[in-house]
Amino acid sequence: MNADLIDLGSEPRHAESFVTFLDQLCDRFELDHAAYAGTNPISGSVHGYVNYPDPWKQHYTQNGLHRIDPTLLVASRSIAPVDWSRLEKTEGFAKTFRDAKDFGITDRGLTIPVRGPYGDIGMLSVTRDCSASDWKKLSEHILPDLQSVAVHVHDTVMRSDALSRALRYPALSTREREILQWIAAGKSQQDIGDILGISHRTVEVHLRSGREKLYALTTPQAVGRAIMLGLIYPL
Amino acid sequence: MIIVIDALNKDRFGDLLDEMFQLRARVFGDRLGWEVEIVDGREIDQFDRLDPAYVIGLDDEGHVISCVRALQTTGPHMLSDVFQVLLDGEPPLRSATLWESTRFCVDTQRLCRDGESMKAVSMATCELMIGSLEYARRSGISDIITVIDPVVNRVLKRSDNAPYDYVGSTKQMGKVPAMAALLDCTEERISRVRAFAGIQHDVFASDDAVRALLDSREDAGSVSADVAEWLALMSQPQEPEVPVLPEDIRDYCRAQIESAETDADRAAALRLVEILVRERIYPATHQLVAQG
Repeated sequence: MNADLIDLGSEPRHAESFVTFLDQLCDRFELDHAAYAGTNPISGSVHGYVNYPDPWKQHYTQNGLHRIDPTLLVASRSIAPVDWSRLEKTEGFAKTFRDAKDFGITDRGLTIPVRGPYGDIGMLSVTRDCSASDWKKLSEHILPDLQSVAVHVHDTVMRSDALSRALRYPALSTREREILQWIAAGKSQQDIGDILGISHRTVEVHLRSGREKLYALTTPQAVGRAIMLGLIYPL
Repeated sequence: MIIVIDALNKDRFGDLLDEMFQLRARVFGDRLGWEVEIVDGREIDQFDRLDPAYVIGLDDEGHVISCVRALQTTGPHMLSDVFQVLLDGEPPLRSATLWESTRFCVDTQRLCRDGESMKAVSMATCELMIGSLEYARRSGISDIITVIDPVVNRVLKRSDNAPYDYVGSTKQMGKVPAMAALLDCTEERISRVRAFAGIQHDVFASDDAVRALLDSREDAGSVSADVAEWLALMSQPQEPEVPVLPEDIRDYCRAQIESAETDADRAAALRLVEILVRERIYPATHQLVAQG
């Protein structure tokens, strides 16, 4: 899964690689545009990456729309993805999107809010100009993967300074390590469930958690990183 | 009927939240004897200040009969901050598609006033379970980790909604033990609970419909002073400037981490930063941790 997205967890990371990541994300999930914004209270930094066309970016910045845009300000306080249709009546929505059409920008989109452990907050927004029914179908279909991608981008961006990186050193549980160790030994999830006497679903939920703690999008990436960090043994 | 209240619509439903906090006080304080803080008959904790989502069940008159609270496991939540004891010292699961649900309860008192009590409690419980599973599922969430007591655990099993596993171990919390259980949000599970309860209709009511129902009541809109204060505190627009760790503290911490010669020193240095950061950002939550 997600094999056609670049792995942001490996270094080095530059602004261009984040924008490239957003482009790939749009290709993969049939989206028009994507944007990530996040704040890191540890380094005191604000991060933003977008693949919107330059004229819209200029218009957005010149008019200070980030100060009123409810897809950022309001959506960040939800725990669930916020479909922009829920924000239509919110202050600032009409103003933010008033001129959007002229720039070829749609107001059909959604924002996935991410909360990190140290007061850090991130938001991944995506748009697609299509009918309401197509949008409903598409967003339902891609949401589970988009959730994971949003946290992946956020965690990676938040690790851009040394102190944050040290704080976010992967804290894997015994079970998460044990499962990654068996994966490294070539066992399937089904086998691992049998070996450990736990359900397939338990293996899956721990594997997913371990993978995300290692800032990996795929299981092979996670195994590689766990070996590199000395959390499991190479076999 | 079920309504989801979060930071985006809570201003319209202060009265419902007030009722919910009273229900939580009766259940977790009085009945279960958990060490929760109750002020003026309302149980509100630090996690209620982190903009959680509440899934709330209402009766036909619009009174709260059940509720549960959801938080993301990627950020601060109960298992990472106050229920660590349940995890036997292990770090909690953290995943984009895993939510934590806590404070699951049903108002058995209100439901038992009328004759058919057991059936009513079971229906209210199932409706809340369907509502929370469907809300999570449509948010792209695949699994829920939920902190429950053995009674709720039995209710889940009886409703064809048994947890597929548990994390950590059962520990005494007040009068009763608590445990962390795992539930998937699959169509199969939701169908099983729906079949068990014989609930086929859409359980969710729109915000407008619920507001209209509440406004038709004589006691419409009553909110206690504490909850009004909580709402006011929560309604302040998000500060654009997040509390930032001062640069000199940052430099000091980095130096401590970099100069650590042993793993224990490094762990201690990291722990220090963690405490500093948490204390600045979640002063009250940190206090809870300190109390154990």
